[in-house]
Amino acid sequence: MSSGASGGGGGGGAASGGGNSNHQRGAAQRPNGQTQNKICQFKLVLLGESAVGKSSLVLRFVKGQFHEYQESTIGAAFLTQTICLDDTTVKFEIWDTAGQERYHSLAPMYYRGAQAAIVVYDITNQDTFGRAKTWVKELQRQASPTIVIALAGNKQDLANKRMVEYEEAQAYADENGLLFMETSAKTAMNVSEIFLAIARKLPKNDQSGGGGGGAGGSSQGRRLAEGDSGSRGPAGACCK
Amino acid sequence: MAKSSYSKVDEYGFERSENFNYESYDAFMSDYMRVLTRRAQRWNALENNIFRNTSVLKRFIRKGIPIDRRTDVWMRISGADKIKQNSQYSYSYMKKQIHNKAIIETIKIDLPRTFPDNIYFISNEALPEMLFGVLATFAHQNKEVGYCQGLNYITGLLLLATKDEESSFWLLKAIVDQILPQYYISTMTGLLTDLDVLDDLISKYEPVVSRHIKAIGMPWAMGTTKWFICIFAEVLPTETVYRIWDCLFYEGSKIIFRVAITLIRLHKPEILGATELGELMMCFKAMRSSEAVIDCHQFMKDVFKLSGNLSKNSIQKLREKYKK
Ligand SMILES: Nc1nc2c(ncn2[C@@H]2O[C@H](COP(=O)(O)OP(=O)(O)OP(=O)(O)O)[C@@H](O)[C@H]2O)c(=O)[nH]1
Ligand SMILES: [Mg+2]
Repeated sequence: MSSGASGGGGGGGAASGGGNSNHQRGAAQRPNGQTQNKICQFKLVLLGESAVGKSSLVLRFVKGQFHEYQESTIGAAFLTQTICLDDTTVKFEIWDTAGQERYHSLAPMYYRGAQAAIVVYDITNQDTFGRAKTWVKELQRQASPTIVIALAGNKQDLANKRMVEYEEAQAYADENGLLFMETSAKTAMNVSEIFLAIARKLPKNDQSGGGGGGAGGSSQGRRLAEGDSGSRGPAGACCK
Repeated sequence: MAKSSYSKVDEYGFERSENFNYESYDAFMSDYMRVLTRRAQRWNALENNIFRNTSVLKRFIRKGIPIDRRTDVWMRISGADKIKQNSQYSYSYMKKQIHNKAIIETIKIDLPRTFPDNIYFISNEALPEMLFGVLATFAHQNKEVGYCQGLNYITGLLLLATKDEESSFWLLKAIVDQILPQYYISTMTGLLTDLDVLDDLISKYEPVVSRHIKAIGMPWAMGTTKWFICIFAEVLPTETVYRIWDCLFYEGSKIIFRVAITLIRLHKPEILGATELGELMMCFKAMRSSEAVIDCHQFMKDVFKLSGNLSKNSIQKLREKYKK
């Protein structure tokens, strides 16, 4: 039924989870024995209209799978995936939200305190691009000011039915300082790449950075750090 | 219901999860089959007199409605029969009025996304068609709700139980219009209220869990939105969901809180063992396949063992307190 066990379990294993073990350039070897590399943990949220492929992108990234018919998400699903980036182990805590408009009012609890967001649209559907822009605006207004936002034009494998031009989306992304890629959860094109690009852009040394401890409403992050005997930095952001 | 301990698919056509524990399921099933047979005999002995004495009826329903009587009994106890009788239009008439392209489109996208791993939904075109009929007809006659994702799962399970499109429609109408008002409207205020009611109840019933969950920083909506919206469909094993619905249809939405509190109570050690949000979410996700919920008969006993005031009245008072 629901598709989800998570890749990431406990502490600092590198590249856990099934599927995609070839994390391209990022895949630094793990030093034998001692954990010399830094471990960073980031909260990432996926937003976008229903059926654009949010759950499919996560499923591809976490388990290396694709389902022709992916169940619609109710509320939100939580998964984790860990990747290696140079000398850093990056653990993503991924919130995959429900896309239908009426679930909108529940979204803030997922993007609040998030250090990264992927806003997804479907390149074969112009309306979903409009909706993506609305999400970007909302994030710019309501989320942490340092949040890293990526725009994903998904279903790139259906480019012959394209309704949103690549250049148009690229220009919009540039204007708004977003990462942008066209992706396909079906063929895996640019899926690990987009997560990797986000990981690169996230601050990995700054203890107080990463948006976790920023102004509005990251009480979650902070409280979590209190209850947690030290796998995170004090602001819930990241590295040790 | 067929004994299915060695099948990869359960008796309602759902694929079992990879880590499904066949052994403990087998042990439970051999007992449960006996329970089902006995319950069927008891129901048959009473025939329609069952509806005369409400306290006997309540007791019987809590022990499970026999599969072959479920549709009729649900229709009767949920108020669906009454809604149908009082309705100005017949189902087939309303179904012919389906016209709104946007609604049709939205529902069609969700048809193959509803139970894609259920053999009855993938191997049989009739079921997705019935699902469309119910959802689209419903959306057109209740404009305030239209189509809300989540209703597809509820309707899917109604269809698997009743195998009847029209009954499923009236039952859905009873759920959305009467049993869970304001859950599915565009503002979802009923849901938001009930999340606060749950928070209030947990802080009284399980104060330690309540404090722990607050310390970790999980809003109840994160762990339990789907419990409410899908009335445990896609959250708990199918047979367990039907047993809950038996009671929901007769006793109303207060049952949801009993079930929710019981779930939390049964998984208290795991919840308290979680040290951060991610672990806590995993723990909520794992509830769907824990032995405590697979043994639906014992689970329902636990649900009704809960003492304290969970009457319609007290839930109503809490709902007024947290009204949005
Ligand atoms: N061709 C193609 N289909 C895709 C791709 N990604 C997703 N899909 C399909 O699109 C449908 C919706 O995908 P989901 O991942 O469930 O979409 P979602 O954004 O999570 O939708 P909600 O949970 O309802 O908000 C599914 O049937 C997928 O199989 C893709 O890259 N290419
Ligand atoms: Mg989804």
